[in-house]
Amino acid sequence: MNNRTTTAASARPAAIGALGGLSLRVPLAIAAVAIVFVVGAVVPTRIAGDFALRLANEGLLLGMLALSVAFLMSQAGLVALGAASIYGGTGLLFAIAVGEWNLTPTMAMCVSILIIAVYATVLGALIVRTNPLAFMMLTLAAGEMISHAVLLEGLRDYTGGADGLVVRFKGSIFGMESADFADPARFWLMVWVAAWLAGLALWAIGRSRLGAVLRAVRENEERMRFSGFNTYLPRLIAYVLVNIVAAVAGLLHVLNAGFVSPESLGLSVSTNALVAALMGGIAGSVGPILGGLIFSFAQDEFGARGLTQLLTGIAIVLFIVVFPRGVVGGLWGAMRTRVLNGRREIS
Amino acid sequence: MIALLIANSLALASLLIMLASGLALIYGLRDVINFGHGAIYMLGAYLGYTVALVGGFWLALIVVPVLLALLGIAFEYLALRPLQNRSHIEVALVTLGLGIILGQIIIYFYGGVARSVDAPQILSGSVTVLNLSYPVYRIFLIVMGLGSCALLALWLRFTPSGLYVRAVSQDPSVARMMGINADRLSLLVTSLSAAFAGVAGVLAGPYLSIDPGMDVTMIVDCLIIVVIGGTGSIGGAIVAALLFGLVQVAGSVFLPNIASLVPYILLMVVLLIAPRGIGRGRVLN
Repeated sequence: MNNRTTTAASARPAAIGALGGLSLRVPLAIAAVAIVFVVGAVVPTRIAGDFALRLANEGLLLGMLALSVAFLMSQAGLVALGAASIYGGTGLLFAIAVGEWNLTPTMAMCVSILIIAVYATVLGALIVRTNPLAFMMLTLAAGEMISHAVLLEGLRDYTGGADGLVVRFKGSIFGMESADFADPARFWLMVWVAAWLAGLALWAIGRSRLGAVLRAVRENEERMRFSGFNTYLPRLIAYVLVNIVAAVAGLLHVLNAGFVSPESLGLSVSTNALVAALMGGIAGSVGPILGGLIFSFAQDEFGARGLTQLLTGIAIVLFIVVFPRGVVGGLWGAMRTRVLNGRREIS
Repeated sequence: MIALLIANSLALASLLIMLASGLALIYGLRDVINFGHGAIYMLGAYLGYTVALVGGFWLALIVVPVLLALLGIAFEYLALRPLQNRSHIEVALVTLGLGIILGQIIIYFYGGVARSVDAPQILSGSVTVLNLSYPVYRIFLIVMGLGSCALLALWLRFTPSGLYVRAVSQDPSVARMMGINADRLSLLVTSLSAAFAGVAGVLAGPYLSIDPGMDVTMIVDCLIIVVIGGTGSIGGAIVAALLFGLVQVAGSVFLPNIASLVPYILLMVVLLIAPRGIGRGRVLN
């Protein structure tokens, strides 16, 4: 949200007059964002019941996953279909690290994210140099590889096979006990802050030099290479960064649920994240996170009849063909045209 | 032992060739990978099951490909043509969505249980070749796979439409300038590719089980093959399918503990050595 207001303001000097100039507009935007942040952190825990809060928590986690997918899509033009293997994989690693290796929770958290980052770097080093279509196929294949690996008989003692793993840990992470993570209201606060941090971080990266290079490579990789840019490293960095966001979401998920199932590594989680991203709109950070929330509540509404997968497929087609900018992008576009039209009438 | 291994891998590769070459053909013309191909194959298998119950296996082998060719025509007119000005990634995502929808519709009608089809009388049992007993059905599968492979090559090499397909795949804009109607070709290729998926689905019935997860398994295998073969290269896809079949069968024999990972290891090794795949990236040139 913040992203769009500031770019709109700098790109269209004429539009500034309405709100009293750039000097006032930026602090106003920051204040508005801060109010949204505080209100969003406090109000849901007061007015919503446990069940709605649980759905919202799931939604924010899916939103973070969608954010990682959307960032790579909008900045680098790459579609990752293996987000679930990172999301579920981190949770599984955390469970193994506390259960098998007897690490403290904080240590286990660091180790699991580190392992995932190394995995993402190695995999990314192999696959980001291919073209976008091959990248999409390869991330799908890599995701399936991980979900098959988890079910291997030989690793059953570690991964729990098809039964999944229960996560029990003693001690605390950042002063939070395992009971705190299981409490929906307290967990909402944590995941709300995490989603904001992830959103702001990726937003800042998108506006940095790295983001500019990524978008230029997306438009024409050959031209950037001729111009003397390294087109490989920026994409690799972006790939690892979004996977760390996905890993944090997966870690929070397992801390909250206290359980890892092999389904959390499955293809359907990846497509859910994709749908959430497309639903919210892939540009910016607000869209994907909102998309995750919408998905979570919509799934509760329609999923009981076993329609989730079918609706996921329909949503992919619908949002790409009819609403390519998603809910947030679409509303924003409609709002801006109305404002601009209104100004034209006045002048 | 070695002969059995090669025969088994050829049987598996036969199915994969039919599916992967269909993917590569569409890619050559439209620059789009059809992520819904696995679902089309699954539809072929389930329709084959139904038709085989009513009229027998041979009828299924004729009727199902025709039905799926019609589906391919619908796919061309309703999805590929309206979206041809959109980015290839978006079209690929649409095919992914359509594949999920098709898969869910099939599961809705047939339920989540696995089905099996019996091979017809002539093809059940086994023959003894060089002191080795081998199931007749797998021999039939190999003949069908290699036969369709040969037909495809003959078509691409020696017919005018095959020539046009190769021309468009090599350079779409020049081919259009020379007066080739790429839309009409695409219609032909899409229906052909869906029909091949139908043949593969029917053939898979007595060989593999027909279950709701078969679409994902197959599309992932085919994507691995297409990447290994060099995206869009039919020759590469055929070689890659043979390699894939061999590696998977050998993996299940020699490395049973990690058999399900062996294809991915092959993929990673190929990517490490030749990131563009082993083929030359374009249709049979």
